[in-house]
Amino acid sequence: MAALMRTKVELFYDVVSPYSWFGFEALCRYRPHWKMDLILRPVFLGGIMKEAGNRPPMMVPSKGLYMQKDLLRNAAYFGIPLKLIEDPFHVMIEKGSLRAQRFITAVAHERPEYIEGVSRELWKRIWSTGEDIVETESLHIAAKAANMEDSDILKCLKLMNDSNIKQALIKSTEDAIEYGAFGAPTVIVHSKDQPEMFFGSDRFPLIAQMLNEEWKGPLPDPIKN
Amino acid sequence: MASSPRIKVEFFYDVVSPYTWLAFEVLCRYQSHWKMDLVLRPFYLGGLMNATGNRPPMMVPKKGLYMHKDLLRNAAYFGVPLKAIEDPFNVMIEKGTLRAQRFLTVVAHEHPEHLEGVSRELWRRIWSLGEDIVEDESLHLAAKATNMEDADIQKCLNMMNDSTIKLSLKKTTEDAVEYGAFGAPTIVLHLNGRSEMFFGSDRFPLMAEMMNEKWKGPFPDMIKSSL
Repeated sequence: MAALMRTKVELFYDVVSPYSWFGFEALCRYRPHWKMDLILRPVFLGGIMKEAGNRPPMMVPSKGLYMQKDLLRNAAYFGIPLKLIEDPFHVMIEKGSLRAQRFITAVAHERPEYIEGVSRELWKRIWSTGEDIVETESLHIAAKAANMEDSDILKCLKLMNDSNIKQALIKSTEDAIEYGAFGAPTVIVHSKDQPEMFFGSDRFPLIAQMLNEEWKGPLPDPIKN
Repeated sequence: MASSPRIKVEFFYDVVSPYTWLAFEVLCRYQSHWKMDLVLRPFYLGGLMNATGNRPPMMVPKKGLYMHKDLLRNAAYFGVPLKAIEDPFNVMIEKGTLRAQRFLTVVAHEHPEHLEGVSRELWRRIWSLGEDIVEDESLHLAAKATNMEDADIQKCLNMMNDSTIKLSLKKTTEDAVEYGAFGAPTIVLHLNGRSEMFFGSDRFPLMAEMMNEKWKGPFPDMIKSSL
């Protein structure tokens, strides 16, 4: 009897986005629980927002204030060590994350087995320890923390400025836009006849339903043999 | 031994908002499951948006397209018979819901025991049957569907334009602004002398945790049989 095929699930994310971190960790945790092929797709959120005519939520002052509480509540719920950024406008808008996303794209090309770890380390820097993620040294430290070899790290740091890597990030961003994305995280579930787009880290019960799986909350039980 | 007090939960809502209908039904269902005092507070979402500089999500075209799918998925998940509005701009923005919210404010004052029912009927009209909710006759039909007496309905309709009612709706909206609201639904939990504001119909697991209650999904009354 043929086993059921794994459903392809694409996660479009940018480490500048804290809610994307929640979605990322939840999906990574569910890899052994759900019959899915999780494909991590770093994008440039700024490009998605611009194309959609969207604005970051914190541009509405009371939304920004609420988000601070909402982020901390969700961080506790998801068991993620997120801390609020001291100067969010400077870190998220002025500095941004383009170089970080380019670096992750280079890692995706050269050493795809490290994309999860490097993404996580970059999230930890910007959204937990309040450290830089755009300087070359910052990217090096993050990759090292993910146990990448020095030589591979240097190769990726060099590659990130190549036009084909820049193009790859643009293409990934355009793919998200074509699916109808207007923000991050954007999750595409390739089940049934057509790809189904979900936005945010608060649709997992619905995503589970679409996968014919069960959502057991943000901390699913370890697989029992 | 004294039992713990019921937690006051204020629910700020406007029937123009579909996500709010979903949250409304959930909280009504959980009244018998959670130790809470659910206080329904009809407000004017349009006024709130103006005061906070927020815009309806459908003003971003891609958000509007996504919302269409998201609403139907959520409606199925929450078991609420929501259907897409054919001309949302006309119904939600041009016609709006100010009169409906004023009517609900009167019902809250005069016949609070019917507030839940009338709110539900108005949601059903706008977001399930695609019917009007701003004409007097529409409001009358909605109230009648909850078994309100004709005389009481007429009294409420007459009171809608009183300045006390207009002010009351304004005050409720201002209360929401003071809690930091920027949209609907806005749900305020009152715990240990502090207020905790939540936005949306997708934060119930977090609210349950905060209230030391259990989130059993959208149908708490359904008994799951163990395999």
